[in-house]
Amino acid sequence: MEIAYFLGCIMNNRYPGIEKATRILFDKLDIELKDMEGASCCPAPGVFGSFDQTTWAAIAARNLAIAEEMGAEIMTECNGCFGSLRECDHLLKENPAKKEEINAILAETTDKQYKGETKVRHMAEILYNDVGLDKLSEMFTKDLGINVAVHYGCHFLKPTAEVGIEESAENPTILDELVEITGAKSVPYKNKMMCCGAGGGLRARDIDVTLSYTKEKLDAMAEAGVDAIVEVCPFCHLQFDVGQTEVNAKYGTDFAFPVMHLAQLYGLAMGLSADELTFDAQLIDATPVLEKLE
Amino acid sequence: MSVLDTLKSLIGGAKKDIDKNLTKEAESVEEAADSIQTSSEEEIEVKSDSETISEEEPLEAEAPAEEEEAAEEEAPEEVEAEEAPVEEEAVEEAVEEVPEEEVSLDEEEESIDDKLSEEEESLEAAEEAVEEEASEENEESDNMTLLKENDIYSMDDIDKEFTQKFVDAGIETVDHCFQCGTCGGGCPSGRRTPYRVRQIVRKCLLGLREEVVSDPALWMCTTCYTCQERCPRSVKIVDIIKMARNEAAKAGYMADAHKATGSYVIKFGHGVPINDKTKDLRKAIGLDELPPTVHAFPEALEEVQKICAACEFDKLIGFNMETGELE
Repeated sequence: MEIAYFLGCIMNNRYPGIEKATRILFDKLDIELKDMEGASCCPAPGVFGSFDQTTWAAIAARNLAIAEEMGAEIMTECNGCFGSLRECDHLLKENPAKKEEINAILAETTDKQYKGETKVRHMAEILYNDVGLDKLSEMFTKDLGINVAVHYGCHFLKPTAEVGIEESAENPTILDELVEITGAKSVPYKNKMMCCGAGGGLRARDIDVTLSYTKEKLDAMAEAGVDAIVEVCPFCHLQFDVGQTEVNAKYGTDFAFPVMHLAQLYGLAMGLSADELTFDAQLIDATPVLEKLE
Repeated sequence: MSVLDTLKSLIGGAKKDIDKNLTKEAESVEEAADSIQTSSEEEIEVKSDSETISEEEPLEAEAPAEEEEAAEEEAPEEVEAEEAPVEEEAVEEAVEEVPEEEVSLDEEEESIDDKLSEEEESLEAAEEAVEEEASEENEESDNMTLLKENDIYSMDDIDKEFTQKFVDAGIETVDHCFQCGTCGGGCPSGRRTPYRVRQIVRKCLLGLREEVVSDPALWMCTTCYTCQERCPRSVKIVDIIKMARNEAAKAGYMADAHKATGSYVIKFGHGVPINDKTKDLRKAIGLDELPPTVHAFPEALEEVQKICAACEFDKLIGFNMETGELE
């Protein structure tokens, strides 16, 4: 099996341990991750899509066209990239006039055309549906006996009518199941399905509102008593990592939940070192949870 | 707590405690109300969206005993916070007078009722003077409608082309909204900002372009889709918000921070471009120093820049392609 691996921005440009763990995992699973050479920013659905739909769609369509030329489905492990590429694909399939407009722009500026021949997929969904929990479990050498707060983020499952991974995003289980095969326990907490607060350009536009979201999430996680936060979106990852220190500075709190992308959690379960997973590049010290795993 | 709330708790305290001299108190409340009238018109206008005092008045007779104390302790402080010196004095006076005066338990309920209605009247008089919307008529009207009594729209405010933009973009579901408010009920931004998603959808359908695009609250949505997931009419609410923001951006209502994000995409092809620290990290863990994206393929970056220019995205955010900087 071959997949066009879409990197995006935040994972590869800030938290490369997520990319590293993913490449190792898929190598073990015998799935080839093919680089999408020259791919750009997805660009971010909430923020860039809010500025100018045409520019947003043209840049996203160019990325889709790269995968089409490779003859492969696209895999991303960022909810934002997933949202953007999937939404653009959906828009251009539903709206022939828009497709024509975007292809005219691509013809003028690139040697690419959007044909609608690829499929945009999230890593978590590929692991769950194509690989399966049983095979996945075989990759792990270490039982992770920690309690985690699973954060789904917004653009992984929603809008469910278009995405279709889960029938409803009110009480999904896919990510909890993916987490619990490592031996980690997904602890229920209040407002589990709530947004981290960073999306839609809000983090850039009004950090105080964003932090009030994040604090509400962190308060609930503290109440539930978790060792770490696990998510499937590098932007949520950044918000829980950097944003957690910002919350502490603003509210005088002392939250210290290490943040892990699902790929990093799997990296730990595969026995990769903390260095390889670049936990040391994160603001919230992961040592307490790593020690708990020893 | 607002000034009027402060007054309310003063009254509440007095009602509870029939040991107090009601006549004196009513006078002092009137005094305080008068002073509010003269001192803080502007402040109180700001509250035009909050509930009116008269809505809560029936509860006052059952106000807890602590309220009197609370009124004594909090009133001066709260008033101070609102920066209305004249009123502060008056309220302090009122507060001081209340506990000092003694009155016999023989005071009849009848006379209490009289005093209560007097107080209500005086409060209402104060409200009417400072807050147009607090009339009884408004209280009885349907608060679930978008339009307030004093918001009169004329056809000049209506831009049907604005509404048509949503329909043309495939968001014809804007027309399916029946204003149930489920969207706002689940909205995390609605809980902490003035963002009212139901109102925005309505305004988009009505064609109130200027109101929609000039409202900073439009940018408080994180595009979390909770509203859209729960909408019983399957309205594509997030698409509506994003399209409205596109129009706002065109009209010049784009934050500098957002222009900066846009400029990174033009300059580097990434909203979050690589930095030296991450290059080192990548190398240290055996990844290519530069990811195989536009960062490693300059001709690919050129394509992205050409797309931005063809869409006039540079002009939209005020990016100078020559200097490579925002203007």
